[in-house]
Amino acid sequence: MKRNTQFAAAGAVLMAALPAFLGAYPLNVARSVMTYMALAVSWDMLLRSGQISFGIAGLFGLGSYASALLVLRAGMDPVLSLVFATFFTGAVAWILGFAVLRLRAMYFSITTLALAEIFRIILHNLHDFSGGPEGVVLPGVIFGGDAHALYWLCLGGLIITLGVSWYFERSKMHLALTAIRNDETSARSSGVDIFRFLLIAFTVTSTLQGMMGAIQVQSYGFTTPETAFDANFTLLPLAMALLGGIHSTLGPMAGAVLLGIASEWLKLKIPYGHLVVYGIIIVLVILLMPRGLVGLARKRLTGRRA
Amino acid sequence: MKTLQTEHLTKRFLGLVAVNDVSFSLDAGEILGIIGPNGAGKTTFIHLVSGILMPSSGKILYKGRDVTYVPAHERARMGIARTFQLIHPLENLTVLENVMIGAVFSRGQSLKEARKSAEGICDSLQLGGLGRDTASLSILEIKKMEIARALANGPEILFLDEVMAGLNTDETRQMISMVKAIAKERGLAVGVVEHVMGVIRELTERVIVLEAGELIAEGPYSEVSKNPRVIEAYLGGAA
Repeated sequence: MKRNTQFAAAGAVLMAALPAFLGAYPLNVARSVMTYMALAVSWDMLLRSGQISFGIAGLFGLGSYASALLVLRAGMDPVLSLVFATFFTGAVAWILGFAVLRLRAMYFSITTLALAEIFRIILHNLHDFSGGPEGVVLPGVIFGGDAHALYWLCLGGLIITLGVSWYFERSKMHLALTAIRNDETSARSSGVDIFRFLLIAFTVTSTLQGMMGAIQVQSYGFTTPETAFDANFTLLPLAMALLGGIHSTLGPMAGAVLLGIASEWLKLKIPYGHLVVYGIIIVLVILLMPRGLVGLARKRLTGRRA
Repeated sequence: MKTLQTEHLTKRFLGLVAVNDVSFSLDAGEILGIIGPNGAGKTTFIHLVSGILMPSSGKILYKGRDVTYVPAHERARMGIARTFQLIHPLENLTVLENVMIGAVFSRGQSLKEARKSAEGICDSLQLGGLGRDTASLSILEIKKMEIARALANGPEILFLDEVMAGLNTDETRQMISMVKAIAKERGLAVGVVEHVMGVIRELTERVIVLEAGELIAEGPYSEVSKNPRVIEAYLGGAA
C-alpha cells in the first residue's frame, strides 16, 4: 500500500516533468504510449470479470467520430465535444451491453470484434454525414496544437482511467468481478447480480475507451474510418496487458511503456514489422509467463504464487 | 407458516425428468435430510430452490411468498443460502474475501462491515489463516469456508450439498456438531444432502427420500430406513 503510493507519486512527478525536457516528437511518442496505456488498463478492467473484449478499437473509434462530428456538424466547442463524445460512447455501450453481455467466452469476444467492424462500415458509407472513406478534417487541432497542452490533455485522460481502475481494485467491484470470473453460479448464490456488475464494467471501460478516442481525434485534427477503427487499437493494448500482467492496474501500465516505446523504435527500423514482433511477444508471453512481467516480479519477490 | 415450501415442483431436461412433482416443506429450527441414490435429483432440487435453475412447473414458497421465478442472487438476499457439491473456491481471493462476498452482496454491507462479520463467522467455525489464498486449504478448511460463505449471506435457510464428502471420521464428527450448533444458534432451517447414512442419522430429525426425481418417502430416519421402497431404491429390486 505504502509502496504503491510512493510508486504513484514518483510516476506523477516523472510525467509532470517530461514536457520540460522533451521535444515535439518525443512528446508525441509519450502521448501515443499514454493512449495505449489507458486502453490497455481499461481492457484489463473488464477482463477482471473474465470477459475478453476485442471491441476496444470499436469504442475508441466511436468516441473519435462522435467528437469530430459534434464539432463539424453541430459546431460544438472541441473541449465540450470531448465530454459529450465520452458519454455518448458510454451510452451506446450501455445499450449494446444488454445484448452482448448475455454472451460468454468466445461468443462475447467475437461479437465485440464485430462491433468495431459494424461502426466502421456504417461511418464508411454515410458519405454526407461522416465524410465516408475519406474521413473528416476538423477546422483545427484542439488548443491550437500546442504540444504541451496536448500532452496534458492526454495525461488527463490517462489519469482518469488509472483512477477508475484503482477504484475498481479497491472497492466491492473487485470482489464482484473476481467472483464472476471464477464461478458465476457461486457468485449468484452469494447475492452477486452478475448482469448488473458486467454492465457497469462494460459501460465504464467503453466510456474510457471512447474518451481516449475523442482526445486522439481532437489532438490530430482528422480521422478516417480506417484510422479510428484501426485493429491496432485492439491488438496493441491486449499485447501490452498480457506482457505486463493481467488483472491489475500496474501490469498493463508496465506493458504499455515497454511495448509502446519498442513499437515506436521498431516502426522506424522495420515499417509494419513491429506487428510481427507483437505477435511473437503475445505467443511467448502466453507460453512462458502467463501472469506477465508483474506476475513474474511478484513471484520472485514473495517466492509464492502471485 | 412454513419457512420453505414447494408444491408439485418439476424440472425437465429435454426428455429427462430430474425432479418430478416434489412437494415438501421445511421449518425454522429444523434439520432435514435429503437422501436418495446417485442421480435421484437431490442436487437439481437444491438448484431449484436456490434459484440456480428455474423449474419447468410447480411452485416455491418462501415464508409464504411465491419465489418460483426469483433470480438466484435475489433469493440469496432474501435468506436462502447453499453450499456446492463440486466446490469452486474463488481463486485470486483470500479466504476472508471469499467469505466477505456474501456479506457485501447479499446483506449490502460495506467492505469494512463485511470484513468484520466474515471474521466473526470464520471464528465461530474455527477457520483460521484468513489471509491465505484458497489453494493452500485442506479439504476440511475448504468445506468450512463453503459454509462460512453461505452463512455470510445472513440466511434463514441453509442447504448443505454433501459437505461431509471427503472428510475422515473425526472431521465428519466435528462437522456434524458444528452444523448442529450453527442451526441452533441462528435458528436456521437446514437441508442436508448426504450419502453417509450415519451422518443423516445423527444430524437430522426428518428425511425425504428422492428416487428418479420423485419423493418416495418421508419421515424420521429410523422409519424411512425400514421402508421397503427406500431399500429397493438403494439396493435394487428383487426381480
